[in-house]
Amino acid sequence: MGSMKKTVRFRTIFWSLVGIAFAIFWVLLLSGNILWTSDTPPLQVIRDMDNQMRIAPQEEYPFFPDRSSDRPPLPYTVPRYAQVYTPETVDEALEKYPENPLPVTEFVLARGKNRFETFCTPCHGVEGKGDGPVVKRGFPAPPDLNRDITRGYPDAQIFHIISRGQNVMPGYANKLSEADRWAVVHYVRWLQQRAAQTTESSSMEAGE
Amino acid sequence: MFTKDIDAKIKRSIGLTLFVLVASAVSAYFGLHPRVTDVGYRPTQPIPFSHKLHADTLGIKCMYCHTGVEVSKHSPVPETQTCMNCHIAVGIDNPKLAGVRESWEQNKPIAWRQVHKLPEYVHFNHSVHILAQIDCASCHGEVEKMGVVTQMQPLTMGWCLNCHRNPEKYVVPARPISGIFTGTEMAAWGQSKPTWGSGRWLKVKDGKIEAIGKQEYQFVAADVAGIVIPKKPSKGPETCSACHY
Ligand code: HEC
Ligand code: HEC
Ligand code: HEC
Ligand code: HEC
Ligand code: HEC
Ligand code: HEC
Repeated sequence: MGSMKKTVRFRTIFWSLVGIAFAIFWVLLLSGNILWTSDTPPLQVIRDMDNQMRIAPQEEYPFFPDRSSDRPPLPYTVPRYAQVYTPETVDEALEKYPENPLPVTEFVLARGKNRFETFCTPCHGVEGKGDGPVVKRGFPAPPDLNRDITRGYPDAQIFHIISRGQNVMPGYANKLSEADRWAVVHYVRWLQQRAAQTTESSSMEAGE
Repeated sequence: MFTKDIDAKIKRSIGLTLFVLVASAVSAYFGLHPRVTDVGYRPTQPIPFSHKLHADTLGIKCMYCHTGVEVSKHSPVPETQTCMNCHIAVGIDNPKLAGVRESWEQNKPIAWRQVHKLPEYVHFNHSVHILAQIDCASCHGEVEKMGVVTQMQPLTMGWCLNCHRNPEKYVVPARPISGIFTGTEMAAWGQSKPTWGSGRWLKVKDGKIEAIGKQEYQFVAADVAGIVIPKKPSKGPETCSACHY
């Protein structure tokens, strides 16, 4: 009789522990604290028209030798609505663009700030000082955009550097539209103006 | 302590509970598994690219790499050129980057495995959502916290419609890490006005451009042609033809 009692108690405890474990599992699962992950693509039991004969962007497409659905433009053709940046040298750019075509407005500067902080801060830093996070990991440090030499560059030269790159700096004509690049030029000017104002006021304070 | 009767009852009820638990666990496994719901699909990529390192630690905004998303339907996975913008000089002999260099030298695209995929009878457009300042995290989760991109939302029709009916409940407003344009970026610094240029000082409010300051300035679209104009999100569409056409 005594041994049977023991087994019953043992079993009850064992199974209630199992039950509690399951309950915890369920609570975690339903509250979203467990995320199952899987490397295998989701099952498609009923395929409907999930995959159609059309070619999607960036798809694998075995028809072409490089197996990509994205095609380069044919040789000797010019895209019709695309903006192509043609000047090869700074001089050509200066000739083509005498001045920044965008007005200086809060909207344009906001756009310039947004694009600058997306595309330029990784290297140039938020203030343009050349201390971005990628530079701290070993990328060659760019010069301070607020230095006098850069301040003296005409708008078109900065536009040209953004479009074509310079030495190790990559060009951004493929990522920024023409208007966006001009907006960034305005923003660089604005950073320079602000940097000049702060150094002026701090040197005045230091002088007094 | 127990009579035989109670003993048998306990045994039976334990057996029943156990059966329910096991049955529910089995059905949960098949019902909630990533292969069925899509949530949790996490393919191993050909190159161990980490969003956690690039977006969170280095602070590179999503749009640096996924550049087209505010102007096009499709959000592109970056081409090798984008990686080489930095990796031409950073991590040159890191073995984890061998695949990127190979792709660059042989002019061959990297075969990234696609994570999110809608059936092709649904037309989803990124740009309308991004211009309404809906953050990537509303639909993709916090990608910047992920070592390997994992699908976080089911991408079912019910999921789309839930948000379209109650955007205020589901929309995560634009966060700085995404690089989404809001038009209010200069608000905090507005006092330091530019001293060059024509001095026309405009402001964007609710998707419209307003002149402020003394000068009356008629907004000419051509002035800022090529710059997208963000707006506040309204409710999304529920008509079938908005998504199925
Ligand atoms: C991958 C890092 C990187 C990014 C991103 C980058 N730059 Fe640069 N930039 C550099 C480096 C490095 C130099 C110095 C090039 C040289 O040695 O001539 C430079 C130089 C420049 C110069 C010339 C400075 C001078 O005094 O000669 C300007 C202007 C400039 N960058 C603007 C920009 C703008 C605007 C952006 C954003 C659209 C940008 N850069 C994005 C790395 C970068
Ligand atoms: C340095 C470049 C880079 C940055 C910055 C970046 N991504 Fe990515 N992203 C990639 C690459 C490369 C892939 C494809 C490989 C992969 O899935 O990991 C990818 C894949 C993705 C995917 C999955 C695509 C699919 O196949 O379904 C999503 C979603 C995504 N990124 C969102 C984001 C978000 C949100 C951010 C900002 C927090 C971001 N990315 C920042 C490069 C980048
Ligand atoms: C804006 C600059 C930038 C871009 C663009 C960029 N990376 Fe990186 N990446 C870095 C930096 C910085 C590191 C860290 C290097 C270090 O600390 O040694 C890094 C590290 C890596 C590593 C090594 C991680 C490790 O654990 O060692 C891989 C792999 C990598 N990147 C892949 C990519 C791929 C693929 C792309 C293109 C989608 C890309 N990167 C685009 C800046 C960039
Ligand atoms: C309203 C929801 C939503 C928002 C906001 C959103 N996405 Fe997506 N994203 C999706 C859906 C749905 C898909 C699958 C599209 C398809 O298969 O046609 C997707 C696919 C992608 C892909 C993979 C494209 C491919 O076919 O390989 C990338 C990369 C991506 N998104 C990046 C982003 C980034 C970066 C942002 C923020 C700037 C963003 N998404 C914002 C819903 C969203
Ligand atoms: C996080 C919330 C959210 C999710 C999730 C979402 N949407 Fe939307 N969607 C919106 C909002 C808000 C708008 C209205 C945008 C505006 O004000 O222009 C919208 C607008 C649209 C439009 C109208 C575009 C136009 O031209 O007016 C379509 C189509 C659309 N969404 C498709 C989808 C599909 C398909 C999905 C699911 C894969 C989806 N959306 C998921 C919030 C969402
Ligand atoms: C906001 C965008 C959106 C709208 C509006 C919408 N759908 Fe859908 N629909 C979807 C998405 C996304 C899917 C894919 C669901 C999936 O993959 O499980 C889908 C799938 C479907 C399917 C296939 C379901 C299956 O699993 O085979 C049908 C049928 C359908 N929709 C009918 C409709 C009808 C009828 C309406 C109008 C009342 C409508 N849809 C409106 C986004 C939408």
